[in-house]
Amino acid sequence: MLSALLHDDPHSVGPYRLLARLGSGGMGTVYLARTAGGRTVAVKVLHQRLASDAVLRTRFRLESDAARVMGGRYGAGVVDADPSAPRPWLATEYVLGPPLDDAVRAAGPLPEPAVRVLGAALAEGLGRLHGSEVVHRDLKPSNVMVTTSGPKIIDFGVAHAVGEERLTHAGGALGTPAFMSPEQAADLEHGAAGDVFALAGVLVFAASGHGPFGSGQATDLLYRVRYAEPDLGGVPPALVPVLIRCLDKDPARRPTTAELAAALAEGSGGRRPADVLPDAVLREISRRAEGVWREPPHRLPPPPPDMLPHTVQAGPAMSRRRLFAVTAGAVVAGAGVTGGGVWAWLANQDGRDGGGGTDHANVSKQAKPPARLWTFTIRIPADHADVLSVGSGLAMPAGIVLCGVNAESGVLTWQANIADTWRYAPGGKTLYALRDADEGGSAALCEIDPTDGSLGEPLAELKDFAGDEARNQVLCVAEKTAYLVARAASASNWYVCAVDLSDGRVRWRTPIEAPQDENRPPMLCGSVVGDRLVLYRSDSGLSFLRLAVHGISDGKQHWTLSEPYDGAPPDRVVHDERHLYFGAAALKAVRITDGETAWRFGDLRDVGDSAGETRLYGAPVLHDGVLYAAEGDRGIVAVDAATGTVNWLEKNLKGRHLNRDAPPAVGDKYVYSLDDKGLRAVDLRTHRAVWTLATDASVLTADHDRDRLYVRREKETFALPLD
Amino acid sequence: MEGLRQDDPARIGEFVTLARLDAESARHGVPERRFLARSSDGARTVVVSLPLPGTDPGRWAAEAQWAGRLTQPGFWPVTQLGGSAAFPWHATPYRPLLPLTAVLAAHGGPLPEATVRAIGAALAETLASAHVLGLVHGGISPASVLLTAHGPLLSCFGATRSLAPEGLPRAGLPGLEPGCLAPEAATGGPVDAAGDVHALGAVLAYLATGHTVPERNEVPAGLRPLIAACLSRDPAGRPAPARLLGELAPGAAYGTLTAGTEPLSLPGRVVAALSEQAAWVLAAELPAEVR
Repeated sequence: MLSALLHDDPHSVGPYRLLARLGSGGMGTVYLARTAGGRTVAVKVLHQRLASDAVLRTRFRLESDAARVMGGRYGAGVVDADPSAPRPWLATEYVLGPPLDDAVRAAGPLPEPAVRVLGAALAEGLGRLHGSEVVHRDLKPSNVMVTTSGPKIIDFGVAHAVGEERLTHAGGALGTPAFMSPEQAADLEHGAAGDVFALAGVLVFAASGHGPFGSGQATDLLYRVRYAEPDLGGVPPALVPVLIRCLDKDPARRPTTAELAAALAEGSGGRRPADVLPDAVLREISRRAEGVWREPPHRLPPPPPDMLPHTVQAGPAMSRRRLFAVTAGAVVAGAGVTGGGVWAWLANQDGRDGGGGTDHANVSKQAKPPARLWTFTIRIPADHADVLSVGSGLAMPAGIVLCGVNAESGVLTWQANIADTWRYAPGGKTLYALRDADEGGSAALCEIDPTDGSLGEPLAELKDFAGDEARNQVLCVAEKTAYLVARAASASNWYVCAVDLSDGRVRWRTPIEAPQDENRPPMLCGSVVGDRLVLYRSDSGLSFLRLAVHGISDGKQHWTLSEPYDGAPPDRVVHDERHLYFGAAALKAVRITDGETAWRFGDLRDVGDSAGETRLYGAPVLHDGVLYAAEGDRGIVAVDAATGTVNWLEKNLKGRHLNRDAPPAVGDKYVYSLDDKGLRAVDLRTHRAVWTLATDASVLTADHDRDRLYVRREKETFALPLD
Repeated sequence: MEGLRQDDPARIGEFVTLARLDAESARHGVPERRFLARSSDGARTVVVSLPLPGTDPGRWAAEAQWAGRLTQPGFWPVTQLGGSAAFPWHATPYRPLLPLTAVLAAHGGPLPEATVRAIGAALAETLASAHVLGLVHGGISPASVLLTAHGPLLSCFGATRSLAPEGLPRAGLPGLEPGCLAPEAATGGPVDAAGDVHALGAVLAYLATGHTVPERNEVPAGLRPLIAACLSRDPAGRPAPARLLGELAPGAAYGTLTAGTEPLSLPGRVVAALSEQAAWVLAAELPAEVR
């Protein structure tokens, strides 16, 4: 529960002397701290690097206000706060109890009396919040702390006043899909009745061990929240009627918090929380009550000087220590640092625990993975998961939305309701998207506002193309021209077309084969290369990649090619002005002018243990005229892009299974690559791996403007310095 | 735990008192005065003990010195001795704890048999390891056993010896729980290992019934023969602590009960009382004028 302070953590915050770390998240770090009079509190401090962000300061202030409204009976009592300090802070009581998800994990589903007592108290607590015109908006098991005096609702990071203008328009689908209200999932106003819906979900979880809409992909969850009947399997029958009413899709038909509290209190016989909690939960409470009095661990020493280049860029909140991972299913938890309890947080970033003074002697000669600059907790989609630079920030697809993220802090700034990754594409630092298919009418292309994610007025209305076709696709935007694939309004014919964004007119269109899949667009990806438009397409079940190259001035097809291709098909066109590059059975360069093979690399090479697997070469990345790709399980190979001759091979890599579907990323000092042990940095001079960061990441994106490496894994995206 | 009274010391050594550990109503039978206190810089919170008024501070301090040398698990450690010959005190870092009298008050009556066995077995193990070394506690009573989340700890080491010199009758002395005093010790006889077993039996009876001298049929049947044997008038008839341990927790490995790192299973209201005490102490703040 308590972990050591880092060498660069402050010694005090406001009137509090810091004792230990409790956790850290996107917005801030929570410390155990003590006053000169010996009062012990939990202090949440906004990250230094975010403290100058006016929006986040405002959000922090609102969170402090909401926590005060909640009070100490149903929440973590606020002791003091200074939202206008250079680094804003909020001090609350240190809550002695586990979050409800941990409690259920430890004890299994709670017995009916416990659910009734907890539920009635939570309903009363919400009633109190709503009575002050505040909605919580992110009620979920991890935001409910279970204590012997009753449950406490924490983390008001996304709470807001009823009817208040949404802060930075990040409102939308903020929250956790498994416990969202249908109105929240639909991006409508989530009011008091929405909190009632979420509370019922929390109680279903407490009573049965699963949420009413299960778990899984955010996309599926949001759909089920909006349209599916809740699953109350395992919930005691006597609780079902009242919970079903709370889970009504129509907010107007749900009971009020007072009605819910009364219905739950019925039959609980006025029992105290301490009387109904299972033994395993009581022991968790004991553990915390006792643990906070133990001597806190010593502050960690600064790293030895030769490690500094890797750590100086780390924010003070970024710990190399093992903290706790955010629980499953969060679409967005970038803002979610709890106030009184703990429990958040950064997933373990390199698999190392501790890292105190003891092992420095052994490791000081070896470079270590750098600390994360930020972590954004979010579920990533299965494909096209690249991080894009948009305006002054970043955009990344997440679940069924597109998220705008502050590049400095990793904090969510907006969400756009764009479910399908093929419906938007960047042109420079601008993002363009097709108007939502649900709106019907004709297809239209709009610009996404980089500050709030909203779609602007259409730049082009394409009346000849069907607006309600979900598989319509934006391939790319170059030189004020957008290249789209769309179905004709009047027939089932499909076209690739070029749209001039300065006047909104279709410059040309060329018929193409209709997509074979009901749910997938026709093309994998497309890109302008010189005066050509390159299209990649792959038909399900066939291990061929089909290339088509058109002229950008008239759409005329110049050549096509079917290329044998194993493994995950490419989601980007790797090219320079002369060649297209692939990595599969071999590394290969294809001439853009005529589709002829310029060179092949890898035939007859011994690539080590991975014989038998058909994809021997990984998806490549091109950097400064050199093509980098994983070669078998042997390591990175660097090949001259012009000639196909080898520049260097990675040395001394053994016992790894290399990820050949995710292209490597290249910085000034290292090439980064994924394997079954994690993220590996290979020194460009010595050609040896210098460190491995344990992670199951699946996507790497290098951001050369900001010198950042974005690493995406199933439920989070984090940033490292790109060296 | 209870608020301070007017005649309570505001300061003990470097510590500022925050609260009494023992409620006034449960004060009878507590062989020392115990306070929750905090160093004036706010950094250390402790439990401080003082001798009862009217008793011999020298003998009390001598027993406290012995207790300070004990490193057995299961004993409440005495980590700091201070004061003067006339006004001695000792202190130990705070952790959430309840005298057994407060445990029964919190629970609202006698404890379930499983809890009695768990607490009793841990105490028996502590005594067994102490007796092997020739140490006799000589002060076991409901108030001297401090229950923490991880199990019971024996405090008030040597209370029987400190309250009256050997040879003098001890019956009726303030600070001694009459039911815990073995017949031979009550009349001024030596305080020995068999006396500790008698006292442990009385504590078990207290946990199971609310009285140290229970009516026979009050005691749950499963514990009756055991408690009766401990309370036997004949010291030779009382079981050795190791045997008690075996009967209270059949199959438990010796040495595992008092060194446990996992919280004990305790009734909800007892956990609530420990947790509320911890929360109160966490939130307590020394007034600015005493710092």
